[in-house]
Amino acid sequence: MTKSLRTGKLARVARLTTALILAGTVSAQAQDVVIWGGFPELTEYYERVAGSLSDKYPDLNVIVEPIGLRDHEKRVALGLSSGLEDATVLELIGSTANRYIVNDLLSPAPDNVANFVNDNANFEGFFQETATVGGSVYGVPVFRGQGALFYNTDMLAAAGLDGPPKTMDDYDVYASKLTQRDGDGNPTVSGWSLRLSGGGGGIAEKFWINLHQYGGTLLKQVGDKYQAGYANDTGLAALKQYVNAVSGEKTVTVDMPADAAAFQRGQTAMFIRESWVIGDTAKKAPNLNYKTALLPRGSIALPVNLYVSGGSDKAQQAAWDFAIAANKPEHLIWMLDNVGWLPNRSGVDYSDVVAAKPQFGAFVDLPDDYVFFTLPSIEPINEILTRFAAKLVDAYADEALVGNDAAMMAVLQASADETNAILDRAGILAK
Amino acid sequence: MLRRKRFWFAIIAILPTFAIFGWVRMFPIIETLRLSMFQWNLLSKNKPFVGFDNFIELFGDDQFLDALTNTAVIAFGAMAVTIPASMVLAAVIYHRTKSRFAGFYETAVFIPHVVSLVPAAMAWKWIFDAKLGPLNAAIVAMGGTAQPWLFDPVLSVVCIIFLVSWQTLGYGVLIYLVGFRNLPKSVYEAAQLDGASGLQSFIYMSVPLLKPITLYVSVVTLISGFNVYTQAYVLASDTQGAPGRQVRVLVLDMLENSFQNFRVGYAAAEAVILLSIVLLLTAIQFGLLRQKGDR
Repeated sequence: MTKSLRTGKLARVARLTTALILAGTVSAQAQDVVIWGGFPELTEYYERVAGSLSDKYPDLNVIVEPIGLRDHEKRVALGLSSGLEDATVLELIGSTANRYIVNDLLSPAPDNVANFVNDNANFEGFFQETATVGGSVYGVPVFRGQGALFYNTDMLAAAGLDGPPKTMDDYDVYASKLTQRDGDGNPTVSGWSLRLSGGGGGIAEKFWINLHQYGGTLLKQVGDKYQAGYANDTGLAALKQYVNAVSGEKTVTVDMPADAAAFQRGQTAMFIRESWVIGDTAKKAPNLNYKTALLPRGSIALPVNLYVSGGSDKAQQAAWDFAIAANKPEHLIWMLDNVGWLPNRSGVDYSDVVAAKPQFGAFVDLPDDYVFFTLPSIEPINEILTRFAAKLVDAYADEALVGNDAAMMAVLQASADETNAILDRAGILAK
Repeated sequence: MLRRKRFWFAIIAILPTFAIFGWVRMFPIIETLRLSMFQWNLLSKNKPFVGFDNFIELFGDDQFLDALTNTAVIAFGAMAVTIPASMVLAAVIYHRTKSRFAGFYETAVFIPHVVSLVPAAMAWKWIFDAKLGPLNAAIVAMGGTAQPWLFDPVLSVVCIIFLVSWQTLGYGVLIYLVGFRNLPKSVYEAAQLDGASGLQSFIYMSVPLLKPITLYVSVVTLISGFNVYTQAYVLASDTQGAPGRQVRVLVLDMLENSFQNFRVGYAAAEAVILLSIVLLLTAIQFGLLRQKGDR
């Protein structure tokens, strides 16, 4: 009896062990594809794309792992340099991906993907170029960051302003009229919210957008080399506008709520941002009365592509299919409508979304002379932006600079010297 | 023969531990020392030897010097706050051990040390918020002026010192409590007989007798202060555009140089300098606080 009981227990344990091993085998056969993104608001979009692949890949297990952009960039650097075990779809700005491509850490896309990207019916030349290095396609374009002015129509009407500002001088006038102050004259609602604090290169990137409106550029390309392009009249005009707003007229202060959150809460009257604000505002402040407007001269355009690394050939194939599926019209329309990032694919009818959300107009109905710029694909771009940003933070808050063009130019010259030193170290300084 | 066998048995027994220690502890340090002499972008197969160039460049780098200054101020500031505060708190808790709330006091002081730093820093970020934070609300309610805690160059450093101290205080109190419990009671009884007040006993007896504990707490606090990162990162992090002033500290600068600027050799040189500073300061602390006659 005891022996029989023992045998029975043993048999049960053996069956359980076998079942567990089999379960493990089945699980191992499932196709894992990991999505690394730097824009958490796109999680649902990627999950929808994954769901649409279930017919072709019944065992496909897509793991969407989005984190903040700064941390995502560090994760990609570590992951690619040490090797990725699972097939991983990497969401990267073209200029960032370039450094991995030139160091052979990203492989070219397979032929079917390259053909999809190179098909002019799918993408315009600008987007094809950002996904191509040395004639080979490495990524699949998906969406882009592009700026426009967001303004609160109620606040403009209350200030007696008709329509959005059209020139950079208008921006100053509008900022002044739109700023709301308490009894002591301290601003309580900023007229024009500017990026004034925080880590990374965002402050310099936003400065570049304003500089661009004055006809300037942060980095001037000469052949295949670069030099600092802002220690001049255009740079001075842009810096003067910031310094005057923060330390002069105080239409905005460094500690005021800023950006989309402030705009949605009625704490700022206008600001420049990408199209994702439209989707975000629809969720967080659906009753906010606002419009968008073109910038005076043009905008930044930061195309984001999907790249694949790691995993078996079979898993990589699934990952590339995921990148192509991400460009299916139904997913792109959903992304535009629900998240607000601008899809890059041509030939898709977005008119219903634009009609329902006219704020997209300033992002898609563009005049022919609207000038775009993008971050150059050079290795030290982040270091240049971060170091310049640190200088700008101090300059914005320096009241001694107000009305002192020579001192402001000295700040710009010192920063430009530093930028040029970085370019020189990287061997890409245009003399 | 037996002795030799025992010797080899001991060697073989301890070898795995040494191997793990060497691999996990020593190899990264040696590799960091080696990398600091190279120019490497993390991605390239080329890794040219540059000797001490990274170190020379560091001492002309404004951002590094700024990070070094901020880190030193934070580390010494946190130590200056933590040591006296934790000693006094430990003394108060120790002399109130008969209270039925003694356990609560100890736990309350120690909790910040075990709380995860990121959510804690997020909570403090809200407290320090210039417009919406309760700290400024309280200051204004008492007739003061609201301060831009996270934006002012000086106040933002003060906030980080406060956060580091808030977190290390509990640990300091715990260690000091152990120290208080091990102090000889007879000495205090003799002092009491001689008419010493409680405050005099604390200043002239507890403080000198607790010197080894102070040494330990100061070393731990200083090292922890020099490794500050999360507080500086979280207080200036936000997906929106007014997160706070980025207080540049050494670890943050290293991470940025390594994984955003792709200058691994340069970041390794920073790590070597940080290691040297911590070792030097620890040696100085041991020298200053070691009791006469100690080895």
